[in-house]
Order: sequence, then C-alpha cells, then structure tokens
Amino acid sequence: MGFNLDFALSTVPTIIGAIGTTLIATVLSCVGASVLGFTFEMIRRGGGATGLAVRFLIDFIRSTPVLAWLYFLYFVLPFYGIRLGAMTVGILGLSLYYSGYLAEVFKAGIDAIPRGQQEAARALSLTRRDTVVFVIAPQMLRNVAAPLGNYLVSILKATPYLAILAVPEMLGRAFDIASETYRYAEPLTVAGILFLALALLTSYGVKRIEQRLLAAGRR
Amino acid sequence: MSLLEIWLGILQGLGITAEVTAYGLVFAVPFALVFGVAQFLATGMTRFVVTAVIEFWRSSAVVILLFFFYYVLPVMGVTLSALTVSSLVLGLNAGGYASQAVRAGLQSLPPGQREAGMALGLSRPAILLLIELPQALVAMSPTFVNNLIQLVKATSLVSLVTLTDMTFRAKEIAQTDYDPVAIYSALLLAFFVVCYPIALAGRWLEARVNPERGTSRGI
Amino acid sequence: MLTQAPHPVPAVQSIPHVRIEGLNKWFGALHVLKNIDLSVGAGARIVVCGPSGSGKSTLIRCINGLEPFQKGTIQFEAATLDKDGRDTSKARRQTGMVFQSFNLFPHLTVLANCTLALRRVLLKPAREAEEIAMRHLTAVHIPEKAQAYPAQLSGGQQQRVAIARALCLNPRIMLFDEPTSALDPEMIKEVLDVMIALAGSGVTMVCVTHEMGFAREVADEIVFMDEGRIVEHASSRDFFSRAAHPRARLFLDTILSN
Repeated sequence: MGFNLDFALSTVPTIIGAIGTTLIATVLSCVGASVLGFTFEMIRRGGGATGLAVRFLIDFIRSTPVLAWLYFLYFVLPFYGIRLGAMTVGILGLSLYYSGYLAEVFKAGIDAIPRGQQEAARALSLTRRDTVVFVIAPQMLRNVAAPLGNYLVSILKATPYLAILAVPEMLGRAFDIASETYRYAEPLTVAGILFLALALLTSYGVKRIEQRLLAAGRR
Repeated sequence: MSLLEIWLGILQGLGITAEVTAYGLVFAVPFALVFGVAQFLATGMTRFVVTAVIEFWRSSAVVILLFFFYYVLPVMGVTLSALTVSSLVLGLNAGGYASQAVRAGLQSLPPGQREAGMALGLSRPAILLLIELPQALVAMSPTFVNNLIQLVKATSLVSLVTLTDMTFRAKEIAQTDYDPVAIYSALLLAFFVVCYPIALAGRWLEARVNPERGTSRGI
Repeated sequence: MLTQAPHPVPAVQSIPHVRIEGLNKWFGALHVLKNIDLSVGAGARIVVCGPSGSGKSTLIRCINGLEPFQKGTIQFEAATLDKDGRDTSKARRQTGMVFQSFNLFPHLTVLANCTLALRRVLLKPAREAEEIAMRHLTAVHIPEKAQAYPAQLSGGQQQRVAIARALCLNPRIMLFDEPTSALDPEMIKEVLDVMIALAGSGVTMVCVTHEMGFAREVADEIVFMDEGRIVEHASSRDFFSRAAHPRARLFLDTILSN
C-alpha cells in the first residue's frame, strides 16, 4: 500500500479548509495567555502570600506538560458540571499553559526598564497610574514584542494538540480523513507540510515585525 | 482507589517516560552539537541545507512529527518500534531547539577568542574544540536544561502511540475509575515532581554561569 | 549644628527655600547621612562635593523624596518631609531633578519628554504645554531637536533636554546629581554652560559635582561632605582659599592637581 500522491493531493482542500479553526485557536490562546500571564506577573510582583502562591503556580505550570493540562480541563471541568465545547477547553488549556511562560516574558520586559525611568517619573511628580501608563507600559510593550511573537509561533505549533480533544483543526481533519479511508500516510503528510509552511511563514512575519520595531527603537 | 494508589499507578509509567527521555537524548545531543556547529561554520549551499534540516525538526509541530513518522515510515517499508520512533522524533525535535543554543553560544563569543587562538598557532578545529565550544556550552547550559525539561514534558505524547508512560497510565486508570480530579491532578503532580528539580538545578546553573542575569528564571 | 565649620556661613538674605534639620539616614546598618543641617536660601547656588561614598548624592535624593530617611526634617515653604514622607508629592512639586544618567524617556520625543508632566501633572492644554517646553528647549539651545528621540542625541544634548524637562514644571529649586559624570569630556562644557546661564538667571540650585572650575565660577556656597557628615560649609572663596578640614584640603589638592 505505497504512498498515493493523487490521494494526498485530494486531501489538501479539506485540510486547508480547517486553517481558520487553527488560526482562531492560535490567536485566542495567545490573547488568553497574554492576559493571564500579565495578570500573574502583576500579582507575583505584588508579593505577599498571594504573590507567593502565584509564583508557585507559574513554576507548577511550567513543570507540567500541555497534554496533561488539556486532559485535566477536558475531564475535570464536566466533573464539576462545567460543560464547554472541545474548542473552548483547548483554548483555555493552551492559554493556561502558555501564561506560565508569558508571565516570565512580562517579568523580563519590566525588569529591563532601568530604575532611573521610575525615578525620573517620580521626580516629575507623575502619579503611579500615569507612570505605568505613560512611562512603564510603552517601554515594556517594546521589550516584550519579540519574545511574544516567538510564543505566538509556539502556540501555533501547539494547536495540533487540540486534535486529541477532537477539535476539527488541521490535524483533526487529517485524522478524520484517515479514519474514513484507513489511509494515514497521505493526510498526515499533507497536514505536516501545511503546518510547517504555516509555522515558517508566521515566524518570518514575526521576524519582519521585530526588525521594524528594532529599527523604530533606534530612532 | 485511594489517592496514593492512583499516584503509584501513574508512577508505574515513569519507567517509559525515563526511557523515552534517555533514548531521546541519544538523538538530541549529537544532533544539537553537529548541526549547531555546522550552522555556525558553514556558508553558502551547505549552510542552507543544514538550516533546512534544523528547521524541519524545530519548526514542525511535534505532535504532527510523531504521528507522521509513526504512520508514514511503515508505508515506506521502514518498521521501527514505537519506542524508537518516539525517541527519534522527540529527540531530534529537542535537538533542533538545542542546536540553536549551540550556534547562538558560539556566535556570541567575542572574536578576540578565536584571534587569540590563531595567534597561538592553533588549527581551526583545535580552536573550535579547545576554546570556542567549551565556553559556548557552559554559557548555554541553562538553555540546555530548559530543552531537557521540554523533552521530558513532550514524552507525554508517546501515550498516543501506545507506549504505557505516565500519561497512558492515567488514562488507563480513568477507564476503570471515574475520579478525573484525583487522576489528572496526580498526573500533573507526577510530572512536577520529575521536572521541578531539573528546573531548580537549571536556576542554580544560571546563577553560576550568568551571575548578572541571575534574575531570569529557568524552566 | 554645623560640625567643625570654622568659617561663618554666608549670611542668607531671604527666607530659606529649603531648611534641612537633623537629617539622618541608614541603609540597613550603614549610617549614610549623619545629622545633616543645611539651609538653602532663595537664589542660593550651592555646590555639594566630597569623595565618593560621602553621602552627597543620597542627600539631594532625600531633598526631593526619592530616598526615604529615618530622622530629621526637610522643610519647604508649604511642605515638610519627615520619616513618614506624607508631604512627598508636595515637596517634589517644588523641586526639579537632573540625574547623572539623564533618565529621559526613550519612547517619547524630546518635546513629549518635556510636555508629559506639564499635561499630566499641571494639566496644561497641549498648545500651552508645547509653548512652555519650547521656551525651555530654546534656553538650553536645543529647540531644533524637539521632534527627535533621545537615542538620536549625544549625551550632552540629552542632559540639556533633561534640564529643560525639569525646568518646565517651574520648580523653586533645581537639584543636580552629578550631571556631567556620565558625559564624554568634550560634552561636559555644553552642559556646564547651560548650568552657568541658569545660575545667572537667579534659579536656586543645589548641585552635586566634581567640577571645581564650575564650583569656583558659579557657587556662592560650597558644602563638603565626608563619611555622611557635612565637614565644611563655607563661601566659595573661603573654601578654595582656606578650607580648614584636612579631608577637604586633601580633596582639593587631589582634584586641583589633576
């Protein structure tokens, strides 16, 4: 039963058709992970008992596999009567998992701002809120843009995990075809090539944006 | 089943987790060294080929790589055990990431190091082996620890190709015992117990290797 | 209490802008400021000098509330700083600070650096804020760089912008924390020239610096600090001609022989 190129090509439209689901999952997970990661970092920065608890939570998330988190949410949430679609659970899982990494990104982005910036803001009598909005946040965003872009690519490459929860993204569609036709090689090859192309394209785009930001930073 | 029984049941899969990690390293370490150094030294067409191989292993989604090799190799007439395929795929994926650390470590050395070696009359291979690589590998050791943690976590995927690792055991137990909260918490905890000490070792290493960057945290 | 001040302190004609009394500060167990008393009169031009680690930077950082302290008071006309730091924001409104490392905001243009506090703190409308900022940028001879970003400027230019930024809020007293120490030698003069012009305009200044030529030309009082104490406080002429404290003599000999 060799590799049938015609059959492989015939699966391309179906698998590409799921690209929307893949991209939506990527973007929503990235937004979720950023919001959650930033919140975690702010709580951790605040210190105290809550800060310590969040510090441990971040370490815990980073020491555990994304697959285990997906199973955890997929099976545990219904146990407590929370019924969500597989796609929602998948996005929640990726958001939670990557929030642990993005918290570190935000931490590094804030730590990289020289102390003198806050002192200058205080010497100019800016309020705490104004200092964050006009001085700290813009510089932090510039610092985190590049690593954030890299994690966007990482999250894209993690979306095939959602196929395991039967989310019909690109790998999921490939498996649908495989189970209907009992041929795995062709749809998986197509999914692999399409994913690699998408990942390379995204990381190329991220690098372009990064260079433009860097050029702007040198103004 | 009591909590302890669940946990012990999951830990029965620790052997496979460890085995895949160890065999994975057998692929990852040579790949990272050879391809990292090659990308650093090569120019023109050779560099393009080296980069293409690295990008295939690094930029593909690891889930897809695993399924692809598991289902496609037999079609090509190559029959490997699930353990070998898993170790190969997860190892080379991790090796692809680590190769970038090897290259970046070599590139970030001041050119004066190589010039000093040449002034002493050392050959290019001798400079690489005696001067550049030792420094680059030490400087990048915290990154390698992160790559190792990612590899351990990625082994959870082998449960999808019939290997009875910790994740597989958790799902097995879940089939006979409806207690998802305990089972999947125990699975997360099991990985945490394995990965967190490695992460702590990485932080210790980071503080020793990069005292000035001591604030950045591992995993 | 002026310890070991052998010469009479120059008479201050008007009410002091700032009166420091019994100021003490510790960093952990380290006693960095010991019983500092100092009055800064209106229009005074005070240079604070001394070996590194003598507490001079810490002193002026205390004056605008960047450093908390444990004992003593710093009195402004309408605010008093003490260990609780309740009046910090009021006190800060009356002071302008120029840092050793400029601390311009890298993501904002020169003009936006200057207008930020005018708009957010003094709540000036955009037009008026820009007019005020341009006036001060012109005073420091850099109006043509208003739309540039800090990274496009030399160190000397950045420090001049930082001076303009501090002046925008119309402070009663300007504080300088080693404003030329981070500059290449060829840029020191342009910054000192701006400060000399500023002194001539009657602004009250307290300046930590090692530039003794500047001190001789501009300062009317010199405060010499050593190990957290003011060991010499004299008029500029007296300090340079007959400083009494051996540490001050040694310091002068070292600095002037270079």
